[in-house]
Parts: sequence; C-alpha cells; structure tokens
Amino acid sequence: MNGIHDCGGMDGLGPIDREIDEPVFHNDWERKMFGVFILTIVGGLFNDDEFRQSRERLEPVKYLQFSYYRQWLLAVQRLLVEKDVLSMEEIEERMKDLAKEDG
Amino acid sequence: MAESDGSGDADGDAALRVNAIVSLLVDKGLVDMEALDGIVQAYETKIGPHNGAKVVARAWSDPDYKNRLLENSNAAIAELGFAGAQGENMVVVENTPEVHNLVVCTLCSCYPWPVLGLPPTWYKSPPYRARVVRDPRGVLREFGVELEEHVKVQVWDSNSEIRFMVLPEQPSGTEGMNEADLAALVSRDSMIGTAKVIVPE
Amino acid sequence: MSALSREEALRLVGTGATTRVDDPASGPQYAVGDRVVTRNPNPPTHTRLPRYVRCKTGTIHKVHGVFALPDSNAVGAGRNEQGCYSVRFDSEELWGPQGQVGDCLFIDMWDDYLDPA
Repeated sequence: MNGIHDCGGMDGLGPIDREIDEPVFHNDWERKMFGVFILTIVGGLFNDDEFRQSRERLEPVKYLQFSYYRQWLLAVQRLLVEKDVLSMEEIEERMKDLAKEDG
Repeated sequence: MAESDGSGDADGDAALRVNAIVSLLVDKGLVDMEALDGIVQAYETKIGPHNGAKVVARAWSDPDYKNRLLENSNAAIAELGFAGAQGENMVVVENTPEVHNLVVCTLCSCYPWPVLGLPPTWYKSPPYRARVVRDPRGVLREFGVELEEHVKVQVWDSNSEIRFMVLPEQPSGTEGMNEADLAALVSRDSMIGTAKVIVPE
Repeated sequence: MSALSREEALRLVGTGATTRVDDPASGPQYAVGDRVVTRNPNPPTHTRLPRYVRCKTGTIHKVHGVFALPDSNAVGAGRNEQGCYSVRFDSEELWGPQGQVGDCLFIDMWDDYLDPA
C-alpha cells in the first residue's frame, strides 16, 4: 500500500534523533511486547509479511508519533483480533481488571 | 501495585494493553511466561553487536576467512556460531578506501539480529529511513563521518529476507593486534555503515 | 498453537525460518548483468516495491535465489515463490538532478516486480 511507512526519499521528517547508550528495551512493557511478538510469530499465529502489513495499516499520524513498540502492540493486537485469537472486548475487559488491581 | 515500567504518558495505555494481551494469552495456554522471559533475556544479553564485532575481527585477521565471508556470508558467520532469526540470509558488504556502504530498511526495520542484536530506535525511525537513500553523505555528516571526494557511496535497502552487515575498513596501525582487541574497536554503527572504526587516542 | 516452552522458543529463534527454496522447480528469470526496469504496482495491500524505486531502470547485481513473494504471502494468497535479486540503481536514476553521480543504491526485487529493460 502507498502508506506513510513507504518513506524512502521523503523530505522534511527532521533530524535523526539518536539516544546515547540506548538500552535494548526502555522498560518492562517493551520487553513483554518483544517477547510476546516472538512467541506468537514463531508459534505460527501470523507470518512476517502479515505483521508488516498490519503495522503499515496504522494511521499515518500514529505511525509517525507512536514509539516503535507501541506500533508493534497495535499491529499484533489487530492480527490477534482479526484471526479470532482474542477479542477487543476481552482485551478491554482485562485492561479494566488490571487497572483496578493497580489501585 | 503496578510494576514500574517508566513509560509515562507518552505511550498512553501501552503498558496496560500489553499486560492485558499477555495475561490473556497465558490464560488461554498460548504463551508461557518462562519462554517469554527466556526470549527477552537472549536478546537483551546474549545476542548483540559484540557478535558482529567478532566476525569483523576474524575477517581482518584471516584473509581466507574474509574471502569466505564475502563469498558465502551465512556459512562464514555460522562458523563463529552466530545464526538464527533475521539472519537466515546474510550478505556482508565490504567497505574499502574507494567504496562506503550503508544499510537501511526504508519500509520498516529489517536488521541482522544474530550479528547485531536488535536495532536502535534511530535506525527504525522515518528520519533515517527517508533520508539515507536520498542523501547518504548528508546522513554520514550528521553522524560525524566525512568521506573523501573520490569515495563512492552505496546504500543497501533491506526489503527482502536478505539481511546486510557492513565489514568496515580496518583502521591503520592495528595490523597484528589480536582478535579480541580488534573486536573491542568495532562499534555497532560501523557495521551499519554510519561510522568508521577508529582507534581511540 | 500451544504455548512454546522456553527451550523450544530459544531453539526456534536460534534456527530462524526462511521461505528460501534451495531446489526450486523453476528458477529465477534473470541473471547477473541483466538490465531490468521495475514495474508500477500500487496495491492497497502489502508490497515491498517502494514508490521511490518504481519505473526505474537498473542492473541485476546478484541472484539471491527463490523466495516467497511478500505481496501474496501477506494476504493469505500463498507463497508464490520466485526469483529474488539484488538490483543496482544509479543515484541519478532515482533522484534525477539531485542524485550524486557515482553513488548507487541496491534493493531487492522479485520476478513479479521486473521487466527486461
């Protein structure tokens, strides 16, 4: 698709922002996101090409602004829902439960 | 109490959403937390650019190995014990006094995990991806690398299963150093092509 | 799918997975040195032919082998294995007057992305 991800040669995207001594993961949720991505793709729930396409379908503003692993999260979530592994309802329900636990 | 994840407001409800999805997948018997921790640990500690640095140091030290590396990168890299996801089809490209190579994935973030680990955020972000194919010399300047006029620049866009690693030039004055000391000089950026290997003062 | 154990998961990422076909029934259509011109697909779905390199003329630099075509593999239309190549494009070909003479770019192409030039 002719999406925002296809950005080779595009102008005006700004300077290349480099984090000094960037860690592999910035926090625990990034770790979990990477881990669950690997387990679901290696487990055969979806393939690389399906994953890339899912990420490409993210709205352009979100694609440019959301952090990398947050984009992965939305891409994987979409695939899990489209493939009937999870439903949005149960995800939102679980989020509410977890938020209550956190107090 | 919620685990501290330091995500702040910038990532919205990402932490909560990831936790929800993981816990649901665990409940349904699709994900094992020990496996998840094992994967994270492997990529956080074991698999990283120190692997690629060993490959570079070996190539600098052993001309036959270097030929094998350029001829059949997969086999040569596997000789040192590195292989696996996102490195199943490796091509190593050599920097010389006449040619400077850079690697990118304009469409997403493809990167040779077994030799370099997971990519830095800048490599995966639109500013690098957009500009390096169009103005590689400008990007190099931004990284502090100024090439001599006669040097030709080649950019490799990783849009297939092929994964690229740059074999940087060996800095002068390091001939005869042992492999471990050579490997310590090789930065991750030099194997992407956005840096040269320099000998610290 | 049932949960992978830690050992199994680590084994699988240590081996990796590729769609490369080592003994294909039919081989790649092009050879090193062939002049090719890229096509102009604009599918609403996944493709790995970026806009900046459509309708451009280049030279086959290397034959990688036979691999799945991402365009079909992404939409459940099968692997459609075919020749995959490294193709060289001169900077001026891609960027016109803003290109840098002497510089070039290599990007991978599949049979379905190419026509003979």
